[in-house]
Amino acid sequence: MIEFRDFSFRYREGDAPVVRDVTLTIPDGCFVGITGAAGSGKSTLTYAVNGIIPHCYPGDFYGAVTVEGMDTVETSLTDLSRAVGSVCQDIDSQMVSSIVEDEVLYGLENFGVPRDEVEARLADALELMGIADLRHRAIDSLSGGQKQKVAVASIIALRPRVLVLDEPTAELDPASSAAVFDLLATYAREHGTTVIVVEQKIALLAEHADMLVIVDGGRVRFAGAPGEVLEHSAELLELGVNCPRSTSLVNRLRASGLYAGPAARDVAEAAAACREVIA
Amino acid sequence: MAGFLEYVPGESLLHRMNPVAKLACALILSVACFCTGNLVFLLGVVVLDLALAASCSMTRQALGLARAVAAFSAVLALIALLTTPEGAVLAPLPWGYVGTGSVLAAVRIIVRLVACAVPLFLVMYVTQMNDLANALVKMAHVPYRYAFTFTSTVHFIPVFMNDMAGIMEAQTARGVEFDGSFAKRLRLMAPLCVPLLVSSVRKTNSAAIAAEVRGFNLRTAASGYKTYPMAARDWAALAACVLVLAAAIALSALGM
Amino acid sequence: MIEFRNVSASYDGELPVLRDVSLTIPDGDFVAFAGTNGAGKSTTMRLINGLLKPTSGEVLLDGVPTTALRTSEVARKVGFLFQNPDRQICQPTVREELLFGFTAVGEGGPDAEACVDAMIEAFGFDADAEPFLLNRGTRQLLALASIIVREPDVVVLDEPTTGLDYRECAKVMEAVGRLNAAGATVVMVCHDMEVVGDYARRVIAMTAGTVVDDGPTFKVLRRPETLRRAHLLPPQVTEVSMLLGADPALAGTAVARADTLDEMAAAVAALASEAARAAARERAALGACAPMGGE
Repeated sequence: MIEFRDFSFRYREGDAPVVRDVTLTIPDGCFVGITGAAGSGKSTLTYAVNGIIPHCYPGDFYGAVTVEGMDTVETSLTDLSRAVGSVCQDIDSQMVSSIVEDEVLYGLENFGVPRDEVEARLADALELMGIADLRHRAIDSLSGGQKQKVAVASIIALRPRVLVLDEPTAELDPASSAAVFDLLATYAREHGTTVIVVEQKIALLAEHADMLVIVDGGRVRFAGAPGEVLEHSAELLELGVNCPRSTSLVNRLRASGLYAGPAARDVAEAAAACREVIA
Repeated sequence: MAGFLEYVPGESLLHRMNPVAKLACALILSVACFCTGNLVFLLGVVVLDLALAASCSMTRQALGLARAVAAFSAVLALIALLTTPEGAVLAPLPWGYVGTGSVLAAVRIIVRLVACAVPLFLVMYVTQMNDLANALVKMAHVPYRYAFTFTSTVHFIPVFMNDMAGIMEAQTARGVEFDGSFAKRLRLMAPLCVPLLVSSVRKTNSAAIAAEVRGFNLRTAASGYKTYPMAARDWAALAACVLVLAAAIALSALGM
Repeated sequence: MIEFRNVSASYDGELPVLRDVSLTIPDGDFVAFAGTNGAGKSTTMRLINGLLKPTSGEVLLDGVPTTALRTSEVARKVGFLFQNPDRQICQPTVREELLFGFTAVGEGGPDAEACVDAMIEAFGFDADAEPFLLNRGTRQLLALASIIVREPDVVVLDEPTTGLDYRECAKVMEAVGRLNAAGATVVMVCHDMEVVGDYARRVIAMTAGTVVDDGPTFKVLRRPETLRRAHLLPPQVTEVSMLLGADPALAGTAVARADTLDEMAAAVAALASEAARAAARERAALGACAPMGGE
């Protein structure tokens, strides 16, 4: 379980807090999507979970953030990293190796995974991300989508209980973005891993997340099941968050009194809602 | 195409040698080049370098490198030419003369630098940076921090070059023309260092954080999963290089 | 006008990334190139502004092959917005950055300054701000502004909305839309199909260095064969419409043609009220019949 209690944070060089009074509980195994306009503080929220604040970026930290009972301020970054795996936004600079296999080995070696387990974990992680055939390839020669899968594989090989990703699909085309989310969701479900992902493409979150968190001006404005949060499409738009068009469509039908069902998360649900209205 | 100092995959003998043995051999050869000024010996080392390069199909790269090193050392050679008044007078200078000895000294500088630089660069081309760093940490007990700094630097060279190419392309698209005199190019490129610096700082910062959350601080000499045993061929190569070194020392002791 | 005649292109003599592509983009068009990464879209953009020369075939700008033009000549005609604004921005203030667009092609002077001031006004920039301290969206907008301030005939955009939030994306695209309305040709690569649907009038779908389809935006995005071959998903409303249109009872109705939110909402509402009327008629008919058949 991850808990934010009255959490606020101001970067040392910043004037105003970037995150204010956030109280939020994320149950184990939950797939959480965080989104919001640029500068809303969504990335800072995840930095509090993986310990990048206050350990790498110092500042004023108010309230408390705990991951499985560990206070992220008091626990060292290294100890926290055993439980929380992080995939950073800039994957090119995250890579420490030139070969896929070495990249996945890196964390396993550092965290002292027993030698007889290493091979299985390595093969397993590559298999899970569908990149077993890339094992001996040079990272430079991979496409953006493949690199992203390598970055994720190098983290899931460590079997973290919590996985934090910062805009993992920013550089990817729609087909690769969907593939990365499908793999992540499947992995998390099968392993009971909690996933926290910051993402601009809300349609992907709507489809895959169990919980949607909308951040604005450093505050959590909405948090809940996507169906509930997406009912507020008009308010979300005001916060600079665009709903998937299927959601907007169904919300229009709801507003005009034609439809009374829940908000649509994807195209299939929107089509079903339309059929219901027409019939 | 692989870039400057980037690993070129292969299965040659040099590729398969132990990384530390490779580096040690290259260093021994370099030292040998500085133990003697015998031109025949130095030329012999250059030939050996090229033979080694050919053995791992790296002749093109080796020749390119040799050319670059020769061009660079030409400046030093010119200074030597003008400041070493030795041998028969060829041309008088206000402060001395250029003699046959001066020419020899100049040639010696170029050949020596080429002979000693090529093996070192060759090591970069036939060794994965990771393997070299891990083997150095494991076998030579180099502190991991230094090894990591080194590998990251090498790792970032192509990234930065790529960045610079992207920046120049963006400016070309705006109509900046980078052809022309060297001075003009320099003047045009100077302001572009700002975006490059900004992106470099961002990248190195995020790289440091990414390494830290993957247990960088826990890593010890024993962490590496892969092992790098010394094979018979590694000992043989080392022995051969030591022989070359001994020959160089002998030549200089004999005053040849 | 931009013309590609049997163009093939490759980098460093490796495998061709573009194979025998021919197409024509008339003045004032708004074209989006769609396809997966590696399909050859960015290469096509580079060919348009002469950063890359074709290995065979010709790329013509207003009838002149790009090989016969200096890059600065192309730059006067074609403005190019890169995906990463940080590669473009190189001046210490917003004003100087905008002015650099002119000085780079040797067109500085009072006229240029006037254009820059008008642009600062229009985009609401802080003229003395340091570009690298602005946020990502504003930097992207600045990069775009410094391209369009010279009013090029053609604007090429490589992923103009990547990494931007909804509001920033709308700002950038509205500026592009205004430019197109004023007569400029817009050519863009864009992965966000909603943006493509909202702004582009024509879509060219690419895969593996070839053009698979070319036509009006929604014609292309409604062809299942094109979508499959270029790995594309249509905009969501179009996809809903295609799903509904596959139902024989709804084929040919307005919902099967709707491509925008407004069209679809109206079409659904219309069908719903029609269905309600039909039901009422049926009830009325039943009601009229009831006494006869009743007890």
